[in-house]
Amino acid sequence: MDDVMREFAQLATDRPAELRKRKADGKKVVPYIGQFVPEELLHAAGVEPYLICRGGEPEPPEAVLDDMLRFLNPLARSMAGFYLMGLDPVMPLADLIVASQPECHVQRMAEYLELQGLPLFKVGVPQNWDKAYAGEYYFRELEQLKAKLEDLTCALVSDDSVREYIGYDNEINALLRRIDALRKTDSPPLGGYDFIHLNHYSFFVDPRVAIEKLTAIAVRLEAGQGKFVADCPRILLAGHAVAVGDYLVVKNLEDAGALIATEMMDEGLRWYRWDTEMDGDPLRNLWRAKYLDKVPVNIFQPAWRHRFEHMKALIAGYRIDGVVWYQLAYDEIYDMECTVITKWLRDLKVPLLKLETSYEYSREATGPLNTKVESFVESLRGGK
Amino acid sequence: MAGTAYEEFLELGEYHGRERREVLPQWIEAATRIGLNERDMEYAVKEFIPEMWDLQYLGVRKMIGAMTREAIDHTQLKEQRKRGVKLVYGIIPAILTPYQAVKKAGGDKVFVSFPDMCLMNFLQPLFHKGAPLFELAEQSGLTYGCRHCALNKLRIGLRLKDVVPAPDIQWSFGLVCDEATKVDEYINCIFDDKWFAVITRLPHDTCMAEVDDEIPERVAYLAAAFKDAYEEVQRITGVKVQDEHVAAALDDFQRYLGKTDVLIRLTAQADPQPLRGSELVNFCHPFSMPFNTGIEHMEDALDTMIEEVKVEIANGRGIYPKGAPKVGGYFIPYSIPWVDKVFMDNGVATSSSLSMIASAKQLIPPSGTDLYQNVAEQWLRMVFGMGCHVEISTWIEKVNRAKPDALLMGFFDYDRWLGQMHKMGAREVEKATGIPTFYIEADFFDDRDYSQEALRTRIESISQVIKMRKAAKERGVAGEQAVACEPGAA
Ligand code: SF4
Repeated sequence: MDDVMREFAQLATDRPAELRKRKADGKKVVPYIGQFVPEELLHAAGVEPYLICRGGEPEPPEAVLDDMLRFLNPLARSMAGFYLMGLDPVMPLADLIVASQPECHVQRMAEYLELQGLPLFKVGVPQNWDKAYAGEYYFRELEQLKAKLEDLTCALVSDDSVREYIGYDNEINALLRRIDALRKTDSPPLGGYDFIHLNHYSFFVDPRVAIEKLTAIAVRLEAGQGKFVADCPRILLAGHAVAVGDYLVVKNLEDAGALIATEMMDEGLRWYRWDTEMDGDPLRNLWRAKYLDKVPVNIFQPAWRHRFEHMKALIAGYRIDGVVWYQLAYDEIYDMECTVITKWLRDLKVPLLKLETSYEYSREATGPLNTKVESFVESLRGGK
Repeated sequence: MAGTAYEEFLELGEYHGRERREVLPQWIEAATRIGLNERDMEYAVKEFIPEMWDLQYLGVRKMIGAMTREAIDHTQLKEQRKRGVKLVYGIIPAILTPYQAVKKAGGDKVFVSFPDMCLMNFLQPLFHKGAPLFELAEQSGLTYGCRHCALNKLRIGLRLKDVVPAPDIQWSFGLVCDEATKVDEYINCIFDDKWFAVITRLPHDTCMAEVDDEIPERVAYLAAAFKDAYEEVQRITGVKVQDEHVAAALDDFQRYLGKTDVLIRLTAQADPQPLRGSELVNFCHPFSMPFNTGIEHMEDALDTMIEEVKVEIANGRGIYPKGAPKVGGYFIPYSIPWVDKVFMDNGVATSSSLSMIASAKQLIPPSGTDLYQNVAEQWLRMVFGMGCHVEISTWIEKVNRAKPDALLMGFFDYDRWLGQMHKMGAREVEKATGIPTFYIEADFFDDRDYSQEALRTRIESISQVIKMRKAAKERGVAGEQAVACEPGAA
């Protein structure tokens, strides 16, 4: 499957260049931040979406410190930092940047981008999702986004078109679920490193192309050899986000002999476990799928008990030996959830390793990280 | 005469004679519950308070007394609960009218409080003794390095120490940071599943050129959210709030607001300045926390203070040298009053806190008669409730009004919403007003990482620059050309 994977990767890498061409042809370029922005709606409006979720490099979060608080998480600071350093190939092309606004780090970062003169549209996401009025707020935001896109393109967004793209995204989800399910086997043909990359590539190509590539990859993986030894420690990787480009920890875990058997991430990975209804009002369906049907994101309230139930189901379903909580530095709410989950996992006798990243991957930083990872994997192996 | 340090403390808070003797046992009990011992008392009355507070003023001493009364009351929460009193908690920042109206309506049947704020305002500025409670929260899992808010740590610490029991209902305004309301979930999940909270939240999602309180849907949404929570508070407590209770709460607010405005203006305009910036903030506590014991003790202290300040001004007296430059701030860090002291030692007066100055917009009466609509408007006109673009212009308006010689920013490194503005916003304010801003990375409540020793040099050099700029300005030379400084630099 390596050649298909490489092709898929190349297409994703080429996306900014493709966007420049599309823009020259008169298409609108609309980068977006966070999955509460429905990609399906952007595609249906005929604009060119591009997910902004790049991290894993030390310089961008540092570059913004004159204007940004050091204690904002490094992913939020990276998004702004890549732009400030001239390293973001797409934001300067943006006709509109659509940013979901569920929490302060990204809310302040969006304001920073506005102050740089970038055109922002914000999709507010109320955190108290158990209140009907809060849900309606998010729905109105989606309606306004639709209207904004219609303004931008001078064309109506038809329900059929939204439905069509919901269909594609559901297909991508189904393919990711099919590939993910392979990790339930004793010796899976791929681990988290590959799975996360597949997720990332899928954001940067036309959904039809993503479907084609993921189908080819699924077929090959199903027919292929296992890549992991049968009794290797099986890990659930949980946390806020594995950003595009932030693969070091994921790689180290698998290099140390573990299998990342599944993930529970709020951003960076598709919410592929939950499909969107096809019948009925497509906007309402998108709203329900993102806001109500899926397991709540960490910032929602109440969330942590629901999320732990989901985590327990993953632990059972993927025969997880240990959880790695992968946290962005200064991500205060995730830090709190980690404490809660650590306690609950202790009751279940499931070990947890907490890793925190500031995207500072110097030799001094990675040394202790590797040691932590290796000894955790070793202890899981010993416990099997 | 006072015998023990406990008694001395009460004396200092203007408890005398019989009243002091009656309060003493409660005070010792209260102090013990919140982790204060005799040594702390000695340190407070002999060293810390005399150094950090202007005890020559009766108004200041009465204010300490009022805060003490409120703190003692808070250490009785468990007993109150046992007696069947309904406990209603909240957190800062909030619009207090609805909380105070519950108290007006419920009287002794209800205890309305922001326990963390009350005890933070007591423990840190008077005893410098919040750390053991912060540490308790840290040991429980609120890690030190992540930069959690010390106020939230105190809330957790107070619950863990069993000073503060679960409320009947906590109504948390989650309208600034993300962490505050999540602390309710945190406590509920791992320490106390009886900790019941309703939360009111609104995404910070206004765009450039949008003015929060002028978006009818935004106001209506927030009003509906307030109504939803407030009805829950009344349902759980059984307290029915009537218009007259709201009106009485508003009356208190307006009256107190008028008086603090007088004190702030007098102090800000006086030369020499008669009072420290941190003391001014302390007089403003009735805007940030409801007083279950009532605001009359604070109001008495405030009345006294105003008269004393007038006399000082009339006699040309002050606590700073005449002509001392004035540094304003977002919020003068009253919880760590040594910041004030170091500025004072360097001949710079801390004066106005921007958050305490009402903007022109805030002075416009709310547009309707509906409580919730009014509270929503009030909130969205506060700097905490706005997008950065409106907040920046509001800061500029306030700075132009207060006319400080410099602005002190920072101290909110733990607050992802407020803290960010101190960098991004400060730069814009400086551009617009020409008033230099200085950023200090530090913590408003908790100085364990940013001690006096660590910040002294920074404050000294800032003070030097401020004095040089002021001198240059007075000589008619543009400050920027006359002195090399690094406004806004960290
Ligand atoms: S971080 Fe700020 S808004 Fe949040 S609880 Fe602390 S002081 Fe209040």
